Amino acid sequence: MSETVNLPAELRDRAGKGTARAARRAGRVPAVIYGAGKDPVSVTIETRLMKRELNRPGFFARLFTIEVGGKKEQVLPRDLQMHPIKEEPLHFDFLRVSKGSTVSVAVPVRFLNEETSPGLKRGGVLNIVRHDVEVDCSPNAIPEHIDVDLSEADIGDSLHISGVKLAKGVTPTISDRDFTIATIVAPSAVKAEAAEEEEGAEAAESTEAAEE
Amino acid sequence: MLSPKRTKYRKQHKGRIKGMAKGGTELNFGAYGLKATTPGRVSARQIEAARRAITRHMRRVGKLWIRIFPDVPVSQKPQEVRMGSGKGSPEWWAARVKPGRIMFELDGVSREMAEQAFILAAAKLPVQTRFVTRIGEEG
Repeated sequence: MSETVNLPAELRDRAGKGTARAARRAGRVPAVIYGAGKDPVSVTIETRLMKRELNRPGFFARLFTIEVGGKKEQVLPRDLQMHPIKEEPLHFDFLRVSKGSTVSVAVPVRFLNEETSPGLKRGGVLNIVRHDVEVDCSPNAIPEHIDVDLSEADIGDSLHISGVKLAKGVTPTISDRDFTIATIVAPSAVKAEAAEEEEGAEAAESTEAAEE
Repeated sequence: MLSPKRTKYRKQHKGRIKGMAKGGTELNFGAYGLKATTPGRVSARQIEAARRAITRHMRRVGKLWIRIFPDVPVSQKPQEVRMGSGKGSPEWWAARVKPGRIMFELDGVSREMAEQAFILAAAKLPVQTRFVTRIGEEG
């Protein structure tokens, strides 16, 4: 697990869109900290800091230390609202984590040995089914990424969660089935061309029908 | 080209596209996406042209998702017809796109190839667009 990042925050005494917008105008992003049986706390954090953290991989799988009014709290990001066009963060949800608790986190998947994979060497395409895998673990033992080894994967192979080595105490949230993380599929050049030709013929037919 | 299999009513009001997209604003399938930043009606032909541009550029790799569907019938009057005598007949299908909407998603290709494919696709579309990636994959 990587080191936790410190995020200085300011208390937000009043909730609501007016104060939230005022905070955003001042270059801060509103957030809420909840959980661990305590009352929720509304805070604001510098937008610049949050954007920097967002640009690093695995934002939702990293612990942060938020300093509010002299008190430090260990938190895990749970939700994020983004502006649909500007792609600026609008609001964050943070969950307080306490020792001994278990959290479910989406951990990003990292693919190893892509260069030596026989399937990819032969022109196969890595079809990623899950970019991240949700796991249950202790907050202090969240893996940075889940490593999937492609060194023996050939065309037509599927990589399942059962083939991934997880650290002790880390279990996938989906436990009722052996779900797929990625597959290596055959190059689809021939298929795509055939489909295109078919669709072209269909389009011609439909325009003829419309003209009639 | 994409079109609905059946519809409840043949013709629809023109309407206005107001506000921003409230859904479909984040990448759900692929690693890269093409997001609309202005509102507009994207026709089935334009979607098809963009799809072809993307698939031809990618050649044999990757996977494409189309996240918009043209479900609005657009009617037109024939040429040299006087005004009045009712609404014209449905001629083509359009998707109403609001700013913020992810229209296409791509996966299984390099970032450079995805960017280039989306530049070609954007040239076929009537809305301004932006290339987007997943959170944490910037730079």
